[in-house]
Amino acid sequence: MVASTWTRRHIISLADFTIAEYDIVLQTAASFQEVLSRPTKKVPTLQGRVVANLFFEPSTRTRNSFELAAKRLSADTLTFAPGSSSLTKGETILDTALTYLAMGTDIMVIRHQHAGVPQAIAQEMERVGSQVSVLNAGDGQHEHPSQALLDLFTLCCVLDPDQPRASLMQGKKVAIVGDILHSRVARSNLWSLITCGAEVHLAAPPTLLPEFFRSWGAPLEEAGARSPLHLHWSLEPALADADFVMTLRLQKERMTQYLFPTLREYHRSFGITHDRLKHCKSTVKVLHPGPVNRGIEISSELMDDPRLSLISQQVSSGVAVRMALLYLIGSGKVGDGKS
Amino acid sequence: MSSELLQNVRVLNPASETDRVADVLIVDGIVKTIAPQVTEMPFETQIQPCEGLILGPGLVDLYSHSGEPGFEARETLDSLLSAAASGGFTRIAILPDTLPAIDNPGNLAWLQQKFREVRNQSKTLDKPISLPHPYFWGALTLNTKGQQMTELRELAAAGVVGFADGQPLQNLALIRRLLEYGQPLHKPLALWACNLDLVGNGVVRDGVIATQLGLPGNPTIAETSSLASLLEIIATFDTPLHLMRISTARGVELIQAAKAKGLPITASTTWMHLLFNDEALQSYNPNLRLEPPLGDRQDQIALIQAVQQGILDGIAIDHTPYAYEEKTVAFTEAPPGVIGLELALPLLWEHLVATGTLSALELWRALSTQPAQCLHQTPATLAIGQPAELTLFDPHCAWKAETQTLKSLSSNTPWLGQPIAGRVVRIWCPG
Repeated sequence: MVASTWTRRHIISLADFTIAEYDIVLQTAASFQEVLSRPTKKVPTLQGRVVANLFFEPSTRTRNSFELAAKRLSADTLTFAPGSSSLTKGETILDTALTYLAMGTDIMVIRHQHAGVPQAIAQEMERVGSQVSVLNAGDGQHEHPSQALLDLFTLCCVLDPDQPRASLMQGKKVAIVGDILHSRVARSNLWSLITCGAEVHLAAPPTLLPEFFRSWGAPLEEAGARSPLHLHWSLEPALADADFVMTLRLQKERMTQYLFPTLREYHRSFGITHDRLKHCKSTVKVLHPGPVNRGIEISSELMDDPRLSLISQQVSSGVAVRMALLYLIGSGKVGDGKS
Repeated sequence: MSSELLQNVRVLNPASETDRVADVLIVDGIVKTIAPQVTEMPFETQIQPCEGLILGPGLVDLYSHSGEPGFEARETLDSLLSAAASGGFTRIAILPDTLPAIDNPGNLAWLQQKFREVRNQSKTLDKPISLPHPYFWGALTLNTKGQQMTELRELAAAGVVGFADGQPLQNLALIRRLLEYGQPLHKPLALWACNLDLVGNGVVRDGVIATQLGLPGNPTIAETSSLASLLEIIATFDTPLHLMRISTARGVELIQAAKAKGLPITASTTWMHLLFNDEALQSYNPNLRLEPPLGDRQDQIALIQAVQQGILDGIAIDHTPYAYEEKTVAFTEAPPGVIGLELALPLLWEHLVATGTLSALELWRALSTQPAQCLHQTPATLAIGQPAELTLFDPHCAWKAETQTLKSLSSNTPWLGQPIAGRVVRIWCPG
């Protein structure tokens, strides 16, 4: 069983994930995707275990995806909603986490609007000597590991539906377009795609793509190898011969921070349309982590074009990948660890 | 009569560039003798063997925050002074951002009276302890809001040590008038160069680390563009200006150039900026959330060198207490600042002097005599016939920073729970 080589307790960041770990996630997700295609889409893997979804920041799709993943594994789930919580009564985030620990939680899935909170809770869990695992479901502008892993799974399934594996990404050109500066999805994808050997091209106006992003590619440059990371302030060179295009959500309030003049100019310069994709390989596919601003970062027609858009595959892959992650970090605590 | 003999103590006196081992005899609060071996002393002199200990002029803190009045759960004047005494400080200058602010003589008088009560109380203890002397910065603007000038003449007459808000002033017209109006008062003005528009929502120094950690960046130019403006304005006036919280390598260059031109400025950084850079932020520890934020490694090196070369006159502690629940939040939401009065000397010694980065005299000067000069005060000196305003420090006394061991009511420090290699033995404070 592949899980026997899995040693990671928490999943906070993809910065130190290895190719072997990506392969384990991809293989495990593939087996759960097979489960999800059965008439009875449920396995007893995490029966009797408690998965708490602590979503300090509002979220619909990620929270539901994790909740469904946990339920498909037969775990009991708890959901934390900040509006009705004790946070407004003066409780700290660590108090909240310790409360869920006291309820017997085994895995905490944490979403927070500020970077570093899942890491702080993981450290607190270790400090108090508990065995709880923490899974980062998106923290501020830092990381969104499960999104990047489901993106990787989606891409690898396009390349080989029967045997998705990290090596398939070797040399593939992936363009990431949009508000990279504020995107946790982009940061996690940078770690995973570069580690798996993809050639990553980032495209955005300079205000949304500072030079500091070169640091993701730096170690390879230092080693004398060609950097697999390229930064562009215009769209065309990023799209030229691309295998995949990832678009990112643009939050409209960025305009008031002097980051770009108008949504119109943004769409005309960096919006992805059928026409723009002519620069890419003929087999190109488009991804978006959702929710989409139709007509801003991607045209409505393209989003709805099943030949090119992988958006709905991303959502369905999400459940299988999150089942895999819950299984991998939870299986050490469920006896034989078989799925 | 009281008489104490400190035997074989390492005497540091920046004023005379002295660093040697000697016996020091203190009689009735006056340094009577400093000699390789003191044999003549009053009857009943207490003799203390001090091998390995360090004796220097008392430390002077340029700016720290008091919780009292207004935030007594964070710190009272009593706990602040106890913490300062434990850290080796004989003088501390307190920022006016209390609630109410020190923006009128009445509020200043209240704090001075409070200090007298604390001091009198300390004298009634079984073992009376020396307390440092507090000095108070008067606010430049009402409520330190950066809008309307306080009654600077009245505050000067009431005895403030100088003027500061402790917050970045944004209105250059107001800054110009403050410097102009302050000329006849002969008190230092302390300003923090920081453009809040450029800071935006930044919480760490903009750069590779900020980008990888997904923390909003505060660019270097937020400090340097504001600093350049202030230096242009000060060139027109004679008002002595102290530039607080310099945190960048480029800031050091600007200060150096301005001093070379002969501008009437002094400058300081904080002890935290000398000990950390942004690489430490990987932990997302809210106790590393500072304003200005930690710089990168180059900034840290430039700041240490600037202290060594005297481009930066002083190392400020900028002690900023916060209660547990205020600081136990996401890094981005944490209020900036940490405590430091009890920790600064031992940790600066361990990380800068013990490693050979700074000499003992260079560190001691930046923590004692030069801060006193920034405040326009006569620095303490360890010399025969002078009042004993002294700090005795044991660089090898191991202890652990914990809520029980710290005198401060707050424990917002990244060293909480960590072993510390040195500890202040005691201070002598005149009066």
